[in-house]
Amino acid sequence: MKRTIPLVLVFIFGLLGFIPFIVPHEIVQSSDDFLRNNFLKILAAFALILGLGSLLRVHIDKIKRKGQNWPYSWVLIITFLVTAIIGLFGGVTGQGVLPTRIGSFSFDIWTIFFNIEVPLGATMFALLSFFMASAAYRAFRARSTEATLLLVAAFIVMLGVLPLGNSISPHLPSFAQWIMDVPNVAAQRGILFGVALGMLATALKIILGIERSWLGGGGE
Amino acid sequence: MKFVDYLTKIDRRIIYVILLAVVVLPLLFPSALSVRVMPPVEKLFHAIDAIPEEKALIIDFDYDPQTLPELEPMGFAILRHAFSRRIKVLALSLYVQPLGLAQNALIQVTEEFNSTAQTNRDSVIYGRDYVFLGWQPPPLIPILGMGESIINVYRIDYYGNRTDTLPLLKEIKNYSDIALLVSISSGDPPKWWVEYAQNRFGLQVGAGVTAVSASEFYPFLQTGQFSGLAIGMKGAAEYEELVDNQLHVAGRRKASEALPSLTYAHLVMIAFIIIGNIGFFIKRRQK
Repeated sequence: MKRTIPLVLVFIFGLLGFIPFIVPHEIVQSSDDFLRNNFLKILAAFALILGLGSLLRVHIDKIKRKGQNWPYSWVLIITFLVTAIIGLFGGVTGQGVLPTRIGSFSFDIWTIFFNIEVPLGATMFALLSFFMASAAYRAFRARSTEATLLLVAAFIVMLGVLPLGNSISPHLPSFAQWIMDVPNVAAQRGILFGVALGMLATALKIILGIERSWLGGGGE
Repeated sequence: MKFVDYLTKIDRRIIYVILLAVVVLPLLFPSALSVRVMPPVEKLFHAIDAIPEEKALIIDFDYDPQTLPELEPMGFAILRHAFSRRIKVLALSLYVQPLGLAQNALIQVTEEFNSTAQTNRDSVIYGRDYVFLGWQPPPLIPILGMGESIINVYRIDYYGNRTDTLPLLKEIKNYSDIALLVSISSGDPPKWWVEYAQNRFGLQVGAGVTAVSASEFYPFLQTGQFSGLAIGMKGAAEYEELVDNQLHVAGRRKASEALPSLTYAHLVMIAFIIIGNIGFFIKRRQK
């Protein structure tokens, strides 16, 4: 029973998600509209609670076990609780019941986002450019014909998209654009078709109950 | 250490310092670089430019702080374009994180226009000229739901106003009133708009994406599923160039300002790759 009910639900809702794309009848469309605008919203809210609960549980367990880098789990839990309390009771811009201003010091969600999350996020991503430059210097070697082709194509595209490329030759940006438009699209389309067929097969296997690893039983 | 060994084993700290210098110095001492507008951006510009008066443009702001420098200038340039042509704009985000950034872009560009407006008609007014719909999870709900009814999906806007009371949303009811949607995103949302909203409701879709993810979006441009495509900071600078030159709309051109840094950083990377390969070939010949 523990397995049959989820399998039946997946079969029914899998079909309900699929049919509205091929059956334009009003009853099918309005049921789909109802499911999306009501049912899916409720499911999404529960999924959010489950996700947050799971995140907290993982980090609480890690602290209990004193797992690797466990002090950072405290940072996550404390910041999670603090921002959740401020967000729920202080409002996004400090219009809630909880005071989010002491003198000229404001700590509402808007201020936290723009003064902590934005600089931290931008910094993390900016650091990547340094690692990429170092990694490209060390790893980007013309060891084989394929690697040489990749290297030449990369140089043409890099120079072609830069303003400098047009100064070197007006044909360089057009050639870089051709590389992106033709060889790149050919390869990407092949990948896309492969992925799409794989997704279709996996979706069918899940809807029909052939693939059951998502139940936690390893596909038995 | 032999010179050849040095060529292949330059200390990473030297690379970091040189890269830092070529990124920071052009920002401290700005210089202008001419920008050649490429066809994907030109297509996006013309697709927005061709929006008729009775239809609206949806801008999906889906960039986060990590990709802000690349994608925010696109958002600003597209908003300037839309407001200068008096195109009605609906703004939204499929994720919660970009909400603040989207609101910031809307506030700043609105202020730019309203600071020079002479009359109420010239001004950009919330509810009449644009609406910020906010966030409605999960992404599939707004993408499919707006095809039937926008106010059913977003019963209140980002500021808590009932959407059925806003003048703009009395005219714009669903995708049949939308001429184009532009998804400015660092992830997959532009594809989702094509897969669900375009395939089912025929919505025209344009995209603004990060340079690192650009290659996977080209097939959609080639098939015409994307009406246009702006790529990375260079794409944003191209769009700024078009808005400035063709519409004469003033405003800070953040992407164009950053272009010299981007150019010199790329040149440094190319130079290091060449140095590494010279060392590699000399060593291979010696063996």
